[in-house]
Amino acid sequence: MTAGAETCFHCALPVPADCNLIVDIEGQQQPVCCPGCKAVAELIRDSGMSRYYALREAPDPGVGRPPEEAAEWLVFDSDDMLGAFAETSDGISEATVYAGGMYCSACSWLIETTLGKLAGVVSAEVNPVTHRLLVRWQQHALRFSDVLETLADLGYQPQPLAPENTTRPELVEQRAALKRLLVASLGMMQVMMFAVGLYAGDFQGIDAEMKRFLRLVSFLVTTPVVFYAARPFFKSAWRGVRTRKPGMDLPVSIAVGSAYAASVYATFTNGPAVWFDSVTMFVFFLTLGRFLEMRARHRSIDRTVALSSLLPNTATRVSGDATFVVPVSQLQAGDRVLVRAGDGIPADGVIVHGRTSVDEALLTGEARPQTKVIGDAVAAGSVNVDGLIELRVTSTGSDTTLGTISRLSERARYARPAYVTVADRVASYIVVALLVVAALVAGYWYFAAPERAFVITLSVLVVTCPCALALATPAAFAAAGSRLSQLKLLVTNGNAIESLSRATRVIFDKTGTLTLGTPAITSVLVYDPQFTEHDCRRIAAALESASSHPLAHAFALDEELPIVSNQHVEVGRGVSGRIDGASWRLGSAEFAGGGVSDGDGSATQVFLCRDRAPVAWFEIEDELRPKAKETIDALHAMGIRTALVSGDRQSSVEDVANKLGIDEYHAHCTPQDKLEVIQAAQHVGERVVMVGDGINDAPVLAGADTSIAPSHGAMLAQTSADVIMLGDSLQPLTTALCMSGRTMRIVRQNLAWAIVYNALALPLAAAGFVPPWLAAIGMSASSLIVVLNALRLGKFE
Amino acid sequence: MSILYVLIPLALLLLGGAVWAFFWAVGSGQFDDLDTPAVRIIMDDDEKPADGSES
Repeated sequence: MTAGAETCFHCALPVPADCNLIVDIEGQQQPVCCPGCKAVAELIRDSGMSRYYALREAPDPGVGRPPEEAAEWLVFDSDDMLGAFAETSDGISEATVYAGGMYCSACSWLIETTLGKLAGVVSAEVNPVTHRLLVRWQQHALRFSDVLETLADLGYQPQPLAPENTTRPELVEQRAALKRLLVASLGMMQVMMFAVGLYAGDFQGIDAEMKRFLRLVSFLVTTPVVFYAARPFFKSAWRGVRTRKPGMDLPVSIAVGSAYAASVYATFTNGPAVWFDSVTMFVFFLTLGRFLEMRARHRSIDRTVALSSLLPNTATRVSGDATFVVPVSQLQAGDRVLVRAGDGIPADGVIVHGRTSVDEALLTGEARPQTKVIGDAVAAGSVNVDGLIELRVTSTGSDTTLGTISRLSERARYARPAYVTVADRVASYIVVALLVVAALVAGYWYFAAPERAFVITLSVLVVTCPCALALATPAAFAAAGSRLSQLKLLVTNGNAIESLSRATRVIFDKTGTLTLGTPAITSVLVYDPQFTEHDCRRIAAALESASSHPLAHAFALDEELPIVSNQHVEVGRGVSGRIDGASWRLGSAEFAGGGVSDGDGSATQVFLCRDRAPVAWFEIEDELRPKAKETIDALHAMGIRTALVSGDRQSSVEDVANKLGIDEYHAHCTPQDKLEVIQAAQHVGERVVMVGDGINDAPVLAGADTSIAPSHGAMLAQTSADVIMLGDSLQPLTTALCMSGRTMRIVRQNLAWAIVYNALALPLAAAGFVPPWLAAIGMSASSLIVVLNALRLGKFE
Repeated sequence: MSILYVLIPLALLLLGGAVWAFFWAVGSGQFDDLDTPAVRIIMDDDEKPADGSES
């Protein structure tokens, strides 16, 4: 099972060596890895949309998955369903569909153009951020199921959303934030313009009346900035005061409020100076910081992905002797539901009929299917692997285990990154300090040289504007975040970059982290000299062809297979059948009835027996991720120690650790053991980065200083991880570590520059050596230098 | 300089208009997607199907 050097043109997975499928795209012969990818690529080509391949940001893990069964969508054509999911007026229906598997803007283009070409579609708009498609169609010309089927054919996982689900809190938040940002930025620009007039006037002389007028209009423009754009700061500060837990918004509010109040007073009493420009600029930079941070937060995997894409769209409800296919959203506790082999389980429930094994990898991280019998509870989001079962639903939707877990993850996602907090706190203290210093300077000069007091105070106020300090950290983090996302790393927690930069140890959890999660045969031992290794593989492939067990994929062969009769799948144990008159069994040592087990009873040892006599022995293992070895070597070269903690048995953990040269490893670990390993390392002063993917890792991920999840892991682990690696390769891990170090260097440079600048400029200005115009130039230049320095991160390779 | 007494209020009126227009645009969902429009301009909608199949 060696992977070919080529990768699939469509999905970028390695093309199996024995696969010769080719797609002709724009005159080029491109290899693809499976008939599914071939079909999707041809569909895209034949619709005249080959451009998709040129435009997409990365191969989409969603596109190219096998389309769901078409019949499933027909459910959505009934009047009940249309009433629930679509609004119809004048023969035009409108519905919102969640398109699972979307990744980039090219996807939205592909969907919009493909749907646009369907007869009867009036309009199709896709929002790639929210993964939502708003489609309008003529009811008589097109059925809703056609729209859904087209999406499914393209390889996305469509899910119609009921109208109340469509306005999401994120969107409301983004709209409000955009409005605030606009008010703050326009206000700042206007007030700056008036401020230039006022400063020039201070320098060259100005009519008293014009000065009053400019101050008055500044006041008019600043007022909405303070009372509208800065309102969240005041509200949060007030909440902090009321609950006696003052947050960082309190000093911000005091600074903004007091500077505004003093300026208003000065405006109406002809006082010596107004600070409207400082107020608006401060509010603008804070609002901008919050806006960028909010966008970063929204970009992290959205709630609906976590919850709904793990659930099937429809369920088969049993009432009496009849079965009905209904949308999952209509299931209620107490319903009887039929789940076929290979289908997802739609709701939490108890098995009332049948016996099966269930893949709960998404919930527990356990890769091996668990055997479930009548009376056992199964959870929504897990997959029924190989038996037909009937469930009694106990809870649905957000009440399920899955729903609860994703709610918890979501709450964590709304926590604010510490760097923004720190930047706010520092900037607000500085504004308060600045006002105090300015007052002291004004006081001193009032007695020393009253005629210069005013100009000098002004210079001090302008030159010490904390913009550079306030921008130093957020600008660097924003630049790093956007560069990292181009390099296939999604930072969901602002603290991650800082803590990554100090990492001294990387701990891996083996399952799906160092391996791809697709089992492959790694060694074959033939006991019976009558058969060659190839014969054994063919027989095994034929036997496994009936099974949908994940291990069966390891045996799949792309060639003519012997014919099997009496094929029988024993759930959780193995398969049996007759080939050429002999009885064959493939499975565990105990099931196959022979062979020598190596004693640990692991499912990755599979025996093939003919008439109860052992013929061959297969060892099945996960393939290592691409670049795993290089990544580990690079980490060692950076002086970072590595460790592997895994729940797997000793021999396989040892094997992987030795293959990759990992410093230390622990096998048979429970989540508690893993946490203890991390805490032991932290106890001796190590900074631990945990790379893990399962939900049973969630507490472990939280215990580490930084957590990184591969995107192919459970969705829920993604929402709690600080950084998500997109794609299969492990290489982004080293990129993240290099980038974080670089980012922190830039932050330190920026902070050092801002502090040095302020430390030099303040005494000079206080001593009266800096005229206001020079102060204004100095302030803008210092901010500009900080931003430009941060932008250098965008060029990181 | 007295022209400023006319021009600045005029500028503020225009500013008010711009803010109103932006608020309306945000409210009607035109800014919900901040990523696609940047690349949409380079995507051709009228590319011909590759093998002449009807579109």
